[in-house]
Amino acid sequence: MSDYMIEFVNVTKRYGDIVANEHITLQIKRGELMTLLGPSGCGKTTALRCLTGHNHPDEGRIFIDGQDVTDLPTYKRNLGMVFQNFALFPHMTAFENVEFPLRIRGLSQSERREKVVEALKLVRLEGYGSHFPRQLSGGQQQRIGLARALVYRPSVLLLDEPLSNLDAKLREEMRFEIKDLQVRLGITAVYVTHDQEEALALSDRVAIMNKGRIEQVGTPEEIYERPGSQFVADFIGLSNFLEGTVTAVEGETTYLAVDNLSLGLATTAGARVGQRVLAFVRPNEVELAAPGTMSGPEVLEGVVEKMTYLGDKVDYRLRLGDRLMLRVQSGGTVRFKAGERVAVRLPMERCRVIGGGKA
Amino acid sequence: MNSFWHKQREGLITLVLLSPGLAGFFGLFFYPMLLTVILSFRPEGREVGWTLAHYARFLGDPAFRDVLGLTFSLAVGATVFSVLLSLPLALVLREKPKGNRLFRLSILLPMMMPHLISALGLLLFWSKRGWANLFLLTVLPFLKEPVAVNYTIPGLILFYVWLFYPYTCLTTLASLEALDRSIEEAAEVAGANRLRVLWHIVLPLIRPGVLAGSVLTFMMAFGAFSVPLVTGGNYRPLSVQIFTQATLYLEWSAASAMAVVMAMAQVTFLTIYMRVLRRPIA
Amino acid sequence: MMCAMTLVRQYARSVLSAKTLLVYSFLLGFLLYMVTPFLIIFFNSFGKGWYGMRWLPQEWTLNWYQWAIEVADIPEIMKNTLVIAGIAVVISTLIALPTGWALGRRHIPGKELLTALILLPRMIPAITFALGVAKIFYGLHLVDTFLGVALAHVALAAPYAILVLSATFESLDERVLEASAVCGASPAQGFFYVILPLILPGILSSIIFTFTTSYNEFTMTLMTYGPHTVTLPVRTYLAVGEGYWEVSSAMAVILIIPSLFILFLIQRQLQPEKLVGGFKGV
Repeated sequence: MSDYMIEFVNVTKRYGDIVANEHITLQIKRGELMTLLGPSGCGKTTALRCLTGHNHPDEGRIFIDGQDVTDLPTYKRNLGMVFQNFALFPHMTAFENVEFPLRIRGLSQSERREKVVEALKLVRLEGYGSHFPRQLSGGQQQRIGLARALVYRPSVLLLDEPLSNLDAKLREEMRFEIKDLQVRLGITAVYVTHDQEEALALSDRVAIMNKGRIEQVGTPEEIYERPGSQFVADFIGLSNFLEGTVTAVEGETTYLAVDNLSLGLATTAGARVGQRVLAFVRPNEVELAAPGTMSGPEVLEGVVEKMTYLGDKVDYRLRLGDRLMLRVQSGGTVRFKAGERVAVRLPMERCRVIGGGKA
Repeated sequence: MNSFWHKQREGLITLVLLSPGLAGFFGLFFYPMLLTVILSFRPEGREVGWTLAHYARFLGDPAFRDVLGLTFSLAVGATVFSVLLSLPLALVLREKPKGNRLFRLSILLPMMMPHLISALGLLLFWSKRGWANLFLLTVLPFLKEPVAVNYTIPGLILFYVWLFYPYTCLTTLASLEALDRSIEEAAEVAGANRLRVLWHIVLPLIRPGVLAGSVLTFMMAFGAFSVPLVTGGNYRPLSVQIFTQATLYLEWSAASAMAVVMAMAQVTFLTIYMRVLRRPIA
Repeated sequence: MMCAMTLVRQYARSVLSAKTLLVYSFLLGFLLYMVTPFLIIFFNSFGKGWYGMRWLPQEWTLNWYQWAIEVADIPEIMKNTLVIAGIAVVISTLIALPTGWALGRRHIPGKELLTALILLPRMIPAITFALGVAKIFYGLHLVDTFLGVALAHVALAAPYAILVLSATFESLDERVLEASAVCGASPAQGFFYVILPLILPGILSSIIFTFTTSYNEFTMTLMTYGPHTVTLPVRTYLAVGEGYWEVSSAMAVILIIPSLFILFLIQRQLQPEKLVGGFKGV
């Protein structure tokens, strides 16, 4: 038996000249919630449709539970799926919707009844069996969709942007509900979304996709802390990018020339003088102080161009040197006004080099 | 290569699925129409030879020119009065007065009922001894004689309006209801009174819809057959003339020439209608 | 000052109620205008010795219905009408199912133009191609046969059926079909459990409308009927021509029943725009 519940092996899918998926290889463990995250058009939906069987990959194989399903029709794959637009059967009541997969599987009426009631209880909609989809709110419809996907205990649960048609408050609520159900049932799940916050909150692991390729796979922490590319760093959270040339490597500290400034970074393996390097730092990791109060290779000076009050924090746009712009978010009590000079510390351990930088 | 054959196969399936509809179209419409066109160039009662005589006669003879004139005047009259009836009606119904559904349903009556029955009812209602005249004689004391409506041109226009105004009214109503109320509110805030809002804001905005509806009404009136057949008396618009020419005088080629002219006119109106409709509503 | 304000307010209120009164008398007048022709037919069919100049007949009778049944042979004519309508419905539906599917769900280059073309027979006065149809049917010995008259009706009924069914098929949600497959339904199960229940209302409404089209059809029938295929509308027309107003009225009441049924259906789900859509569909 394979360790992995789902495997994409070198899957490529083209639409005419457009390559929607390019050599996708991805393993998803048993009981894991894997999110495919990326901007629209990145190929995440195509990958999901290859998994459901609504798309047939041009190259590569797909395995579910060790079985090659590449040529298996959708209905034989034993999947459960929650759709973005709910996709409930409009002519059936909530009960009949949930019952449908069981009817297809030829269960007896009493068994069906028992399982449907249980599934409705699972999504906290016990009293709504006789309602038609149009009589239910968006959140209720999506919970029925969830019950329909889970009632027959499929080997895999697929969720295609299940929360994007709901309002913000409901989205947050449902997010926890879905995660809770997935953990309780111990079901392997693939979650597709373009919402990074949702992905970070829900996933065991995230696969970040861009232009038909997988950019990086990792736990939410890894993705956020150690982005493997500029795209990932840019897509997840706010980032400042500093591109420069290594001027000197002195033990623990590597000196980088950014524009006409000199910045000290923690030395990474293989750093050498003359190398072009891309470093990034999150706006909330930068420290601000009055000029002259901090010193060190990682301290620079700048001018506040713009200050925006955001309630729990203050957003600054700083100019360092002539051209370099830096975004800083600080919850500090010391406030700086536009036009004021400030000292800026880019903590060495927080200012990271991405993938060795660009050549 | 694979996808090429795939495309070929998909195209073939589409064609097979479409074929019953296409067969119906060509067998029951296109071929009959083609035959009519050919017949219109044949000498009367013969299958050989070509002639333009029927068209020349049709367009040259004053009696036939009168037929065209009558057809157009009836259609234009019906359209004008349909707009005049539809505008206030749609404006009132837009406010969803009590009994809204009933009123809207009654607009559909002429569209849903067989024209033949409507024609019969209209003749009975407007006859010299009918309810309409009974009412007029009661409320208008200066009226001594019942008004002659049936078998007159104003009467025909009256019937046409009754029959064909729903097309104008429904499109007008639809474009009124598609209007964003806040535009009118903005105009009122800007200091325009109700009448000015109507004149400067509402009417210009719904004009494309009203226009599209009027063209529909015009087309329907232009092509009307059963109603003028029953209620026209001695007045015979084009459609009735075609029928009479073919079945009474047995002049099929002459009738065909008229039918061709009528079909061409209708296609022209249709093109205008589609142009009007395609214009984006502001 | 206060006093003046109150006066102004009272005046405004009275103007307002005068306006409401005006609006409602307009609407009421309109309603009567729409309904009276049918009311007068109804009374006329039951009235005895009612030659007008009175609001209502003095005596009531069923004589005219008896006449219609015994003299005008309505049962036989009703049978003709229903058989013809049945054949027309079957043929139209068989044409419209595949064609509507192709138009609604498959990729067709120039789909709009094709749809417009298929609808053309409904946009052009039937009399213009009825001549050609009659000519062809004479050659094929289809005139005065049930199949022939029904086929002539198909020319008008099929485009409508295609329009309704293609809209029905188009509105089938792809995602719902995908959902049924994910739930484990094979294509056949998906068809019977999901697709069929979803399209059945569309097919039903297409059947109802094609039936009514054929049942009420007049122009095409007039060109293709014969002694053995007289339909209800044609018989009513002939009765009007013969001057038997009361008997015609009785026939009209019988003829109107399916149309009333449809009106009732529409009333339950009032969407008049969709009706115009039959003509707007291009």
